[in-house]
Amino acid sequence: MTEAVFQETTAELRTQAVPLAHLSLELGHLYMEDFEAGPKRLGEHFAEVRVWADAVRASLERRTQRPRISTCFLIDDYFTRFSTPAELIPMVLKEAEKAGLVIDYLARESGCAVADRIELAESVMHRLVESPPPGSYGSRPPVSQTGWLANGERTPSASRSALGAVKGWESPQETAARNHSIFMDVELWSEKDGRRLWSCPFLAAVWQLARLGLLRHLGEPVLVPREWGGADFPHDWDRLPPLIKLTDTRAAFSAYRTCSMMPNRFIAVEDAVRLILDQTDVDAGALQQVAERSAAERMPVPAAVAQRATYVFYEEPADSSEAEGT
Amino acid sequence: MTAALGQPARSVLACGEVRTCLLPSFQAFDARAAAQLLRLRADEPVRISERPSMYALSPEILTGVDCRLPASNGSKVRSVGTVAARAALTEGRLLQATAYFSLPAAGPDIRRPWGQYLVRPGLVEPFGKLPQQATVEGMLRGARRGELDLGMIAEGLLAALRRHALLDRRVPFKSSPTRLRWVARRGDQQASLVNFTVAEGGLRTMELRLPEHIPAAAAAGLCEDLALHDWLLTTVQHMLDNSRLGTADGPSVVEALHPVVVHLLHLWMPRAHVDPALGHLWDVLEEKPGFSRQWENLSRRIRDRLALQAVAMPHQALSTS
Repeated sequence: MTEAVFQETTAELRTQAVPLAHLSLELGHLYMEDFEAGPKRLGEHFAEVRVWADAVRASLERRTQRPRISTCFLIDDYFTRFSTPAELIPMVLKEAEKAGLVIDYLARESGCAVADRIELAESVMHRLVESPPPGSYGSRPPVSQTGWLANGERTPSASRSALGAVKGWESPQETAARNHSIFMDVELWSEKDGRRLWSCPFLAAVWQLARLGLLRHLGEPVLVPREWGGADFPHDWDRLPPLIKLTDTRAAFSAYRTCSMMPNRFIAVEDAVRLILDQTDVDAGALQQVAERSAAERMPVPAAVAQRATYVFYEEPADSSEAEGT
Repeated sequence: MTAALGQPARSVLACGEVRTCLLPSFQAFDARAAAQLLRLRADEPVRISERPSMYALSPEILTGVDCRLPASNGSKVRSVGTVAARAALTEGRLLQATAYFSLPAAGPDIRRPWGQYLVRPGLVEPFGKLPQQATVEGMLRGARRGELDLGMIAEGLLAALRRHALLDRRVPFKSSPTRLRWVARRGDQQASLVNFTVAEGGLRTMELRLPEHIPAAAAAGLCEDLALHDWLLTTVQHMLDNSRLGTADGPSVVEALHPVVVHLLHLWMPRAHVDPALGHLWDVLEEKPGFSRQWENLSRRIRDRLALQAVAMPHQALSTS
């Protein structure tokens, strides 16, 4: 078929491709309490992570001779602001280096809410398509009104029968239950003083989508890493780009698959992340690009997005969870 | 993990419903306002085309369903998947909402994890084998209680758009919305129009045949185009019938026909935004009943009537009207 002579750019849809590594390996996620516990604690963390990072690399080498792995590290500046980039980042990099790890990309958690004035979290929220419980024939449940996302049907709120008697408790039901339900209901955001505060699992879901190369804004890539050529880090988090590239690695930030290393107290958060990813209708163009390129490299990705994320949950160093003041 | 579950399913049917109505705004929308109205998603653009006529198309949004399919023979086939919905605005005047989906010949007997449905937007899978003929008839008849309801999804989108802050909810003239239900069977080499039925209560039904390589979205676009022109014919005919042209006196004729001239006459533009592979399906309707012929006839009647009025009226009366 011949190309049309007349074209209008505003009438066409284009999804720009992003470079993709094989694996995006998250070496850690730093919260204020981790920081307060001091550099030694961070050192412990990296020493533990190093072991698993080697295992993950070995696993990938079974599938490809020249694995492209990029490493990343996330710092929370969204829920609590602590320290400064100038003080914190060199310390993180030093402790990682001591354990023989290299951090290629570093991101701020608030970049998952808003990056370069683009409301990423808001956009992902618009893409939630709730898993329909049996019997759904076209009525659209208003996820955007409740701010909660579940994996099934909730317990009906206290209702009265026709005779006015209060009905007994009814159980919630997981839609994909096997024999018995594991029902989960995830808070996506809260409102305080007219400001929306995104929940940790929701921002972590955005973070996963970014690492999987599935986020776009009007067809353009978002949360694009900015080169940080050895300059000093600023004294204010807002002056640090949401995602920076710290090394000259050739492995791209986004990848076919992700692997995240974290203490086992994050299991519930990451389970919630999977629940969110499983009900997110991601950009179809981006989805197709990833599917085609991974297949061409003989490393086809699982069809469902949530299946592309893997985790290592390890035991925290003994003193950490009882850190003073938390 | 199972390979069979991961395979993209080839569809054998595509079904949709289009609702067409006048945009509830006194002024027609320009391209910018149209883009704002149809921005159903923050991160996906509204497609705007200004030639040969202004046409804006929203991104598609999905609705999850898990219910029975309408079937004429009473078979109760549970089906799970997503229905796509989109809205279009033509010349800033006519608003349309479509809900549509495709169906494969068969599906697994269990429900998959939801994420696997989401990576195949607009596909609804039957449990087991799809009773094709019964489903075609059932979809055209419309959903019964508890059955997959495309009309409800299209109407839900339309209702949300009608509440948009940009709209003043004042219409320049009265009109009735129409709905068009369509079903396309896959597999033929050539796309063809099998049937177009004008039923009562603003309902139209349509049957198509579609080659496999033509996406369901293209069929939805064709059906929107036909629904839009059918709405124009229906509405203008109705206005002419109601204006009692033969009996009314001077100014009221101008008054009655004024909105047609200002808002509708220029909207007639068959196939303007239809996939070129489907444009020829218009030919059948041009042949019989002759959509454009009827439109030309209606336009001529309006123009003649207004010309007569101009001749009959004194010059001052015209200049003050």
